Amino acid sequence: MSSDDTALRHNALVYESKDEYLARAVPFLKAGIEAGEGAVVAHTKPGLAMMREALGSEAARVTFVDVSAAYTRPARTLAAYHKVYVEQLRKTPTLRAVADVQFGPDPDEWDLWTGYEAAFNRSFGHLPAWVLCSYDANGTPDPIIEGVWQTHPEVVAGHGWDSSDRYEDPDHLLRRLTPAPAPLTGLRPIPFARGAEELREQLARELAAAKISEAQSLDLLLAATEIANNAMQHGGGIQEVRVGHARGRFVCEIVDRGDGFDDPAAGYLAPREGIGAGLWVARQLTWSTEFFHSPTGFTTRIWL
Amino acid sequence: MIAAECGDSDACQKLVEAFLPAIGDLARSFKNSRVERLELLQEGVAGLLIAARRYDTTLNTPFWAYAAFWVRKAMQELVAELARPVALSDRAVRELAQLRRARSEHLQMHGVEPTTDELSRATGLTAPQLERLQATERTPRSMEEQLTDRDEATATIGDTIVDPTAEQAYQQVLDAFEIRDVRDLTEQLDERERIVIRAHYGLGQDAQTLSEIGAGLGLTAERARQIEAAALSKLRAALSQSAPVR
Repeated sequence: MSSDDTALRHNALVYESKDEYLARAVPFLKAGIEAGEGAVVAHTKPGLAMMREALGSEAARVTFVDVSAAYTRPARTLAAYHKVYVEQLRKTPTLRAVADVQFGPDPDEWDLWTGYEAAFNRSFGHLPAWVLCSYDANGTPDPIIEGVWQTHPEVVAGHGWDSSDRYEDPDHLLRRLTPAPAPLTGLRPIPFARGAEELREQLARELAAAKISEAQSLDLLLAATEIANNAMQHGGGIQEVRVGHARGRFVCEIVDRGDGFDDPAAGYLAPREGIGAGLWVARQLTWSTEFFHSPTGFTTRIWL
Repeated sequence: MIAAECGDSDACQKLVEAFLPAIGDLARSFKNSRVERLELLQEGVAGLLIAARRYDTTLNTPFWAYAAFWVRKAMQELVAELARPVALSDRAVRELAQLRRARSEHLQMHGVEPTTDELSRATGLTAPQLERLQATERTPRSMEEQLTDRDEATATIGDTIVDPTAEQAYQQVLDAFEIRDVRDLTEQLDERERIVIRAHYGLGQDAQTLSEIGAGLGLTAERARQIEAAALSKLRAALSQSAPVR
């Protein structure tokens, strides 16, 4: 069963000055508030202060979220926004949000965060929300602005709203931007015959030997439990579990006997009826999670 | 670096100690900003930790080259926040006067600053309202402000600021440093659930079997297993809440 993925309106605001940002963001939110919708502003502290002042008495009806520390990994950022939106949708039937995106200047990260925006379309497609992602055009590199047009069906910039003729299907874009998993050598198998419980026990020993912190160890144990349960319920059972270190990180691979899947948005879909939450949980708790077909079976590779 | 990225507090402490001088160097570029140096350093540390959580070790960029952007950004945002002129509504002006009166009365009566709860009770204002009003009262002091109540000026505040490279300033930052947002999932569990999970998987202690754990709690191994299953379900549920269906 699939849920309605057309409830979300995910647009972008590209502004060249604070005045332009306010001229667009404030009426957008106020119109929603007047219509009984919830309102969310996500920005760093100066941006929040600016919006509080601009909204005046209406500010009391807005949820302000400091996102200066939110953009760490795409899955965690999606989870953080999801939490805010879910809390708001418990109070109002729909919501409007203006969210300033914190891309960062390193070109090696731009594909990752453009992929985040693509995943957003699928992740929150079922939410009755109108989200305006805001980008300060001053100093934002052209590739990022190009990515804005690829990931938002409509963009509002200086002269008004435009449909984007460069909008790309989220799955297609995610597939294009996500590097294929590289082969890893040096991983070794661990026993798991008694199922998820033994898997956790064995993993816990490996994590302790690797001196991984308590909090991180629990993260991996939970993530691996989700992947293992998926493998047992949908993947014909676990074929093999391997662990080791690569690129400075603890890695765990769980191989199942099933046909696997080919969904570039796997694990990015926010929880909803009809869609399992296991991969969503696993992605939040880990640095990254990769899914691929390997000679030994369908593999989920968890990087801690 | 990776341990710090994941909230390992010891690793974070070491990261901060290692890069605090570099953060201090960046803070010097804001010396005319009227923001206190200690606040800049603390904000810079916050920026460093954000960078640590984002930084991919496979990037071609060395860590400090990557982190400096986020450190500088954090400081810039602090300066922008504090430099912002605040236009108060009539109501806010009245509320601010009420707040000042309540604080003054409390100080006179008790000799210490009132807590937010005490101010809230005295004024009838909520904590968020108090926070907004108090933010408008933060008037950064100029480095050139005179430090005397006499007609003859003596030292300036700038003269009293400790040399940025002095260990004391950094020590103040390190002493105040704490990982405020390390996610501890086990906080969502009750005491027994925490005990079982930590003991079974050796989190912060030697691992035990469910039989041993059960014996320690006066329970059977099977009961301990059920408690563990409930704990895992609880954590899963906390991480996978869905939006209400309408």
